[in-house]
Amino acid sequence: MGLLPRKRATGSDPRGAGPPEPTPTSPEMRPQDPERSAPRRYKHHRLLVFGALAALFLLTVACSQGFQSTWDPKGPVAEKQLQLFNVLLWTMVAVFVLVEGALLYIVIRYRRRPGQPRPPQIHGHTALEVTWTIIPTALILGLGIWSVFTLFELDQPPTDQGEILEVTVTGHQWYFEFEYPDADGNGKRISTANDLKIPVDRPVSFILESDDVLHSFWVPKLGGKVDVVPTRQNTLWLMADSDLIDQPLPATYYGQCAELCGVAHAQMRFRVTVLSEEDYQAWVRDYSPPAAITPRAQRGQTLFSIHCSLCHTVNGPEVNTVAQARLDQFLTGEENAAVPGPNLTDLRTRLTLGAGITDLTIENLRQWIKNPETIKPGNLMYKNALLYDEGGNANLTDEEIDLLIEYLLNLR
Amino acid sequence: MAAITEVLPRPSSATAGIWSWITTVDHKRIGVLYGATALIFMLLSGIEAGLIRMQLAVPDSDILGPERYNQMFTMHATVMIFMVIMPMGVAFFNFVVPLAIGARDVAFPRLNALSYWIFLFGSILMHFSFVVNQVPDAGWFSYANLTEQPFSQNAGLDFWAIGLLILGTSSVAGGLNFVVTIINLRAPGMSLMRMPVFVWMTLLTSILLILAMPVITVGLIELVMDRNFGTHFFIPSEGGDPILWQHLFWVFGHPEVYILILPPMGIVSEILPTFSKKPLFGYPFVIFSGIVIAIMGWAVWSHHMFTVGLGPIANSVFTITTMLIAVPTGVKIFNWLGTMWKGSIELTTPMLYALGFIFLFIIGGLSGVSHAVSPSDFQQQDTYYVVAHLHYVLFGGSIMGIFAGIYYWWPKLTGKLLNETLGKINFWLIFIGMNVTFFPMHFVGMNGMPRRIYTYSSEFGWGDLNLMASAGYLVLFVGFLVFLYNILQNRNARRVSHDPWDAPGVEWTIASPPPAYNFAEVPTIRGRDHYWIVKDEAREAGNPITEPEAAVDPRTIHMPSPSYWPLITAIGVGLIGGGLLSHYGVSFLGGAIAFIGVIGWSNEPPAAEEH
Repeated sequence: MGLLPRKRATGSDPRGAGPPEPTPTSPEMRPQDPERSAPRRYKHHRLLVFGALAALFLLTVACSQGFQSTWDPKGPVAEKQLQLFNVLLWTMVAVFVLVEGALLYIVIRYRRRPGQPRPPQIHGHTALEVTWTIIPTALILGLGIWSVFTLFELDQPPTDQGEILEVTVTGHQWYFEFEYPDADGNGKRISTANDLKIPVDRPVSFILESDDVLHSFWVPKLGGKVDVVPTRQNTLWLMADSDLIDQPLPATYYGQCAELCGVAHAQMRFRVTVLSEEDYQAWVRDYSPPAAITPRAQRGQTLFSIHCSLCHTVNGPEVNTVAQARLDQFLTGEENAAVPGPNLTDLRTRLTLGAGITDLTIENLRQWIKNPETIKPGNLMYKNALLYDEGGNANLTDEEIDLLIEYLLNLR
Repeated sequence: MAAITEVLPRPSSATAGIWSWITTVDHKRIGVLYGATALIFMLLSGIEAGLIRMQLAVPDSDILGPERYNQMFTMHATVMIFMVIMPMGVAFFNFVVPLAIGARDVAFPRLNALSYWIFLFGSILMHFSFVVNQVPDAGWFSYANLTEQPFSQNAGLDFWAIGLLILGTSSVAGGLNFVVTIINLRAPGMSLMRMPVFVWMTLLTSILLILAMPVITVGLIELVMDRNFGTHFFIPSEGGDPILWQHLFWVFGHPEVYILILPPMGIVSEILPTFSKKPLFGYPFVIFSGIVIAIMGWAVWSHHMFTVGLGPIANSVFTITTMLIAVPTGVKIFNWLGTMWKGSIELTTPMLYALGFIFLFIIGGLSGVSHAVSPSDFQQQDTYYVVAHLHYVLFGGSIMGIFAGIYYWWPKLTGKLLNETLGKINFWLIFIGMNVTFFPMHFVGMNGMPRRIYTYSSEFGWGDLNLMASAGYLVLFVGFLVFLYNILQNRNARRVSHDPWDAPGVEWTIASPPPAYNFAEVPTIRGRDHYWIVKDEAREAGNPITEPEAAVDPRTIHMPSPSYWPLITAIGVGLIGGGLLSHYGVSFLGGAIAFIGVIGWSNEPPAAEEH
């Protein structure tokens, strides 16, 4: 149902589709007789072919299915929305061709010729007016009614497609926090950030809350966005559909905050990893604080509780109460108060760092702890933590940073 | 009170020199002041747009940085809307409306001058934020509660809110002035259904201004009080509601869109008949479409808020109303096509711009339908798809219409034609640049690029199209420079007749540039296309009209004398705002000056007799 061929050359740059085949330039095809008007017309053809190829090239670039392409739905919500858009689009293309065609035709056909007498002075035509009022109204009401049906259809998650998973999304300046009140059906709570893990083929119902300002929660390949509004609990449901996912699981999709929320709005990203039911359950089962079983990790744990634990927690899904209390002070205007940072309990299972800005590698994590501002400008860690000096560097030795990393990633 | 007016005796109606401009109450000069100021702001705001495009041209770029970038898109939009397109509309209201209805000036000439000066000082005040480097940075919509403590720590949003409050007073005064002018000062014979479409659109726009500006004023005052006096209208942690701001903003904001587009629609409706040599097709339908748009414009605001979570019922209602507003817009387009049908079309520069308006506005209108449909909009809201749409409507629509109007009425303003060759180069550069800049944004938006992000990673695949858009900007900018050059070299151009386009409007019956009194004798309007009727009759009678209405001694016609008081009052108003941003003492001083200004104004005698 995609508007454009849903092909994506395996792994290669989609632009590779396009070097125009230069067939028409072969000399044998060139007309021999220079007297005829053919060369001119022929040149026109070449221009047309070139134009068409250029347009095709542009369209391929334009509709290449990037990480956040809405042309490439992976779930029923995004698919329904794309279907509706496609119908609107093709209707619009038809109207465009008709009306712009009429405009161009009129301008060319009725261009003034020298000595032309004054044209007939027509003041209007009521029947015509009524016609071109009624036809668009009917067209639009038809599309409108269909839209309303789609709107209501997508409002609530389906109840016949497996058990609905509930996730509370909290928007922070500048990251998304994800809380699963009942991750496994047996009441296990999970709190994580930036990396959302969901089971395939099960509707996920999101409750959207904000800790500070407006944000907007958006995973383009799974469905449209809903704003995250303080004072409100908005809802949204999404589902990853195995019939639409054309790769072995786990599959990862990109999401991004879509409502201006301050300096680091551009860096408020996240990933959604779609897991098979078994892998999802395994992840839930393994969700636990870092073990700190080696002596080095234990030293890292000590460093963590000294420098990081005011804002970050690693003790499971609990909210960091110290930081939460400080947040309330911050919201009432006290400056430099601590704010809760992402829950780091399951950092070892995550793919990204700094609200989805970069991949989670030991090297990146080292750089992040050392000087987070270089990765994500405007972040509050460097602003609020006493650990950082004026230049944004952590007062930690490389060894201490490595110890922290070993602890957080549960290395052994 | 006589003492005050003796300090500044009423100036006599000098016609040259800077003082004659500062004290002018002549609608034509005020129109020029509005237009020139708006052009300067267009250049400024265009440079801001250039910085945005420079930053986004390639992935992972960090030329501006996030703070500066947020400031740039905030100011670009705010300036383009409030200091370019709106005042450009008002410039045309001022210059054209009295001439087109056969009047000698607007109903309240001094109020008209006050509107301009307040507009100027409000704009300068907002730009003062650059001087103190506390620039507004929350978008032209400035959604609460990002605009509140503790998230907005500097005075940027105060500059924004207070600047807009001041601009709002100017708009309401201007709106009232034009409603009264159009209702009361039409020449005999000009019934409502004989009024030029542009005058109709001015009337509708003025009514929208009077009704819409108070809504944003309420929101802005609440915002200023939240930020400065400890109230909690929009602060959620104190029980306020950030969504209330969105409703107030868009109840103003959507009629505002029609404030921006109706005047250019009127301009196009004047130009098409002139260069097709045919009367406007379906005049009453064009007028009623405009009225329907102006009314329905109040019933669609929540389509800006589909993703806020208002629920499926509200979203359904606003989906349907928003889709339906496309119908009267479509009717206008069909009637424009009907006007040209079987016409004798001359592709002058103003006509090219008018055709460009129609061509581009259709694209903007059609993409608008796709996000009028809320389920489809959930994917498009806050993406570059919407950026593309709004620029097709506001650039492809409003700005193209404004250029059309400038080229069309320029010979009336100066007595000289703008260079047609340069004009055509200007048009094609802007037309091509506009499409290269904004068309790719549809695709990059559908590819998931959100608005208002200052940078993006190369892995998203948005780089090529962004580079293309940035290249298009350069073409646009060169096009704009060609336009400026065309204006600046115009003084050397040859004089043309008073009616170079063989136009139907009343304004073409008089000399170019028009004398201060406009009409020596108030004309009696013969029909919708007054001057065509008059010229036809003269031709049939054997003595075709080649000369404008004969000039008379200006001293025989009583015209309003120039006045300092609008300027003094406006300085007072500007200082009231400036004081809120610096020291409240300045506000009291400003209040005193404004008070003196009003008192002096109301006691001002006519100027001493000059003859």
